[in-house]
Amino acid sequence: MTLRVRIIVLLALAPLAASAQVGETNNTVLVISSDASNWVLHAGGTVAQMIDEGMDAYVIRIGNDEKDSWDLPPEETALKTKQESEEAARILGVKRVISLGFRSSEFRDVPFVTMRDRIAFYIRLYKPKVLFIPNPYTHQERNHDRYYGGRAAEDAWRAAAFENFFPAMKGAGPAPHITPEVYYFASPVDPARREPEASATFAPQPKMIDISGVIEKKVKAAQALSTINRSMAMRIAERLQSTGRRIRSIDEMNAAAIDRLVEERVRGLGALGAEGTSYAAAEEFRYAGVEFRIPSAYR
Amino acid sequence: MQRFLSILVLACAPAIAAAAEGLPLADPPAGDVLLVAQPHHDDHTTDHGLGGLVTRFIDEGYKAYFVRGSNDEKDGAHGYPRNDILNLKEAQDAVRILGMEDEVTSLNWRNNFETSYPLNELREQLVFLVRKYKPDAVAGHNAWEHFQKNPGHRNLAWMYEEAYWLAGYRNVYPEQFELGLAPHETYHYFGKARLDWGLGHRPNVAVEISEENVRTKEKAIHAHQNVYSNPAGARAIKARLAEDGLYLPELEDVEDDNAAGNTLLEWHMNWISRFQGEAAGVRYAEEFFYMDEFYHLPGLKKFLSENVKEK
Repeated sequence: MTLRVRIIVLLALAPLAASAQVGETNNTVLVISSDASNWVLHAGGTVAQMIDEGMDAYVIRIGNDEKDSWDLPPEETALKTKQESEEAARILGVKRVISLGFRSSEFRDVPFVTMRDRIAFYIRLYKPKVLFIPNPYTHQERNHDRYYGGRAAEDAWRAAAFENFFPAMKGAGPAPHITPEVYYFASPVDPARREPEASATFAPQPKMIDISGVIEKKVKAAQALSTINRSMAMRIAERLQSTGRRIRSIDEMNAAAIDRLVEERVRGLGALGAEGTSYAAAEEFRYAGVEFRIPSAYR
Repeated sequence: MQRFLSILVLACAPAIAAAAEGLPLADPPAGDVLLVAQPHHDDHTTDHGLGGLVTRFIDEGYKAYFVRGSNDEKDGAHGYPRNDILNLKEAQDAVRILGMEDEVTSLNWRNNFETSYPLNELREQLVFLVRKYKPDAVAGHNAWEHFQKNPGHRNLAWMYEEAYWLAGYRNVYPEQFELGLAPHETYHYFGKARLDWGLGHRPNVAVEISEENVRTKEKAIHAHQNVYSNPAGARAIKARLAEDGLYLPELEDVEDDNAAGNTLLEWHMNWISRFQGEAAGVRYAEEFFYMDEFYHLPGLKKFLSENVKEK
């Protein structure tokens, strides 16, 4: 690399480094999730493993999940799911769940900056070493809260690092913070999810994490989301019933049957994530670490 | 008979058979109603189209309905209000030719102002229509197509991709139930791309269509003469060929340049159907990104495919 190119790269990175207080990073994981289930299903194992290895973890739940129930009104759905998301997080070892309370399936109408800044505040507050965010680049994800929440979280990662965001809090609020590692998580519906879009310097890379050691914990955490699980299970049951089909082993969709479905779902996701690896169960991400935005000559 | 066997053996899952090469072939799932929602009067047939899918579904017993999202006021040479009226009338003619039900629900959002629509309001309308028509399958654009310069295609598909399943949720727009509607979730989405540029749209199935389906599709596009009448184009092609001493035998005796233009349009439509058919190992086909009934539960797919049985 020529001297001129080196100087250009360093100048490009300089504002980020200069504006944040590099080094004040806690041994903390901060998970941003659009809804109660997305992070548990697609990142819960990896987060639990990091906690087992000594990290502290916090979850920001953006939406209130008010629509995702079978037969409860929105208010009751929101309250129950809040409590259940806290229980799921507790099972995985998370210290605290912060529910921002935005109405689920209505994120599109929330000003982007409003959502971004609330997330960025917590990034500054917790100064995480690792962020987990919904991957807004996941194609064919039909739950668009995951797109809007992911976009806001991604920009919050950046906004949290710059001095000139949150001017009113200057001197009183938490200081700017650069989060060095980011895991983008998503439901594995994108046909191109395993294809790197560019080299690691320019784009977060596909990364599979072995979660075999914590899969039982993940199953239990997912089962704690009773309201969402019942919504899913009853829809499956209704669909099968209306088309003259059944699952013999779970003819009656009671709590035990729903737990069984959830367990199958978590294990099925683990198997999908492990495809192409030697792991028994895995979660798949796009990972932005030290390679991202820093050429190999400067790492 | 084929339809009966399909229902008996595969219940509601569409048959997806591996073609000799290329994309697997998908059959229409068992069902009665197809709801097509697209922004413009001609989207069912233009470009790579889904007119073949519509006619194939109708052949297999479906009723099909068309929803036009915009008022199409910019499409044509007659000024806003006249374009709107002509394009709506021609959309009605085209859906009749395709064999769809003789009603076009026109949402009349202002054409080419799509970016500033309140999108959740558009989604609410689509949720209402899903609850009203209770489709077994829906079709439209694939919202994830890259480099889609026309925001109408992207935004309507973006809303439809949520509406077709959110319509099944009781806490979504509950006021609609005051009108006697009930939650209705649809389990099959066929998404087309406008063209084959970019990587966003990765079709995962091809739907085989017959020669007759292709002919019907060609006739349907002719209905949109406000936009596709192109005598000057035909004249220009003939003149350009003549400069090199060439001619098109099929157009040699066609005095009416408008008819010649329509023939060229037919060839274009026919080529697309052949091109996508050949890629799937059949004579004619259309390609789609297909979201099947348990598409949204990738972790459960294997379990469900192994354990769901006929009653």
